[in-house]
Amino acid sequence: MKAFKLENEPKIESGFKIPEHYFENFSEKLMHKLPENEPKVISLFQKNKKIFMMVAAVLIIALLVPVLYTSTVNVNSKEIDTATLESYLSYQSNINQYDLINGLETDEINNINTTIALEDATIEDILVSNANLEHLIME
Amino acid sequence: MQEEEEFIQQLLNPKTQNEAFQKLLLTYQRPLYNHIRNLVLNHDDTDDVLQNTFIKIFQNLKNFKRESKLFSWMYRIATNEALTFLNQKAKKGGITSETLQNKTIDNLKSDSYFDGNEIQIKLQKAIVALPEKQQLVFKMKYFEELKYEEISEILGTSVGALKASYHHAVKKIEAFVTSN
Repeated sequence: MKAFKLENEPKIESGFKIPEHYFENFSEKLMHKLPENEPKVISLFQKNKKIFMMVAAVLIIALLVPVLYTSTVNVNSKEIDTATLESYLSYQSNINQYDLINGLETDEINNINTTIALEDATIEDILVSNANLEHLIME
Repeated sequence: MQEEEEFIQQLLNPKTQNEAFQKLLLTYQRPLYNHIRNLVLNHDDTDDVLQNTFIKIFQNLKNFKRESKLFSWMYRIATNEALTFLNQKAKKGGITSETLQNKTIDNLKSDSYFDGNEIQIKLQKAIVALPEKQQLVFKMKYFEELKYEEISEILGTSVGALKASYHHAVKKIEAFVTSN
């Protein structure tokens, strides 16, 4: 058998055929298949993320300031305000008036026991104008 | 080269992109079709691979590094797409790529888009028996008539190595055809 030599043979074509109008339709078909370059959708939050974060930080600080301030004031204050003390003594404690008096110095008691100098006429006026007081005296 | 750079810029610019891509399609759809068809052998598969190739080209244009010509870069994508397609198809069928290609060649006789005689079928069978690299080089040189320099840029192999591959391929093909 004669040896086959590629270079001695006429060019062998691949023999592949292409359907008619294939390329005309191909470009049109492909252009529809291309992913569209749609602008990226960025949410409002993402777009202004920095600003949102800054506003949030400022708000948190603003909200924390009064809390921190009052808590430090309370911690540092050693004095009890009068209203609290009064309400405690009146409703919460077992201390009676005598206990309180025992706790006071003589000078302080003297200060409380100031005599109120009232004219008789003044007392009469008060009794006349306040009928309720008369009832009390009667009892 | 200057012209090519301008063309690439048009392809990247959203305003001129569609028009430029259509131009690219018209210029390269035929050579790329022939290249892919020579690798996957039947028309329907070629159509699928060609579409994927152009979609990949479109998507990756922004990453094109200009280290090679646009033409070589596109051929490289087409080659990779075709080889991946063949391997995946063979894997799905649980056969080797060579068996798959032999089956496809057997089917060529009844393929309405194949107009060849016995010698063409025999030549295809001889090519399938070659190692993958020699197949590529032979098809690109013999059927597509690309220059060695162009094939070198596409496959990333030196011209000398390509010439050697082609020479070996021709010898093996001649031996195959003579003995079959």
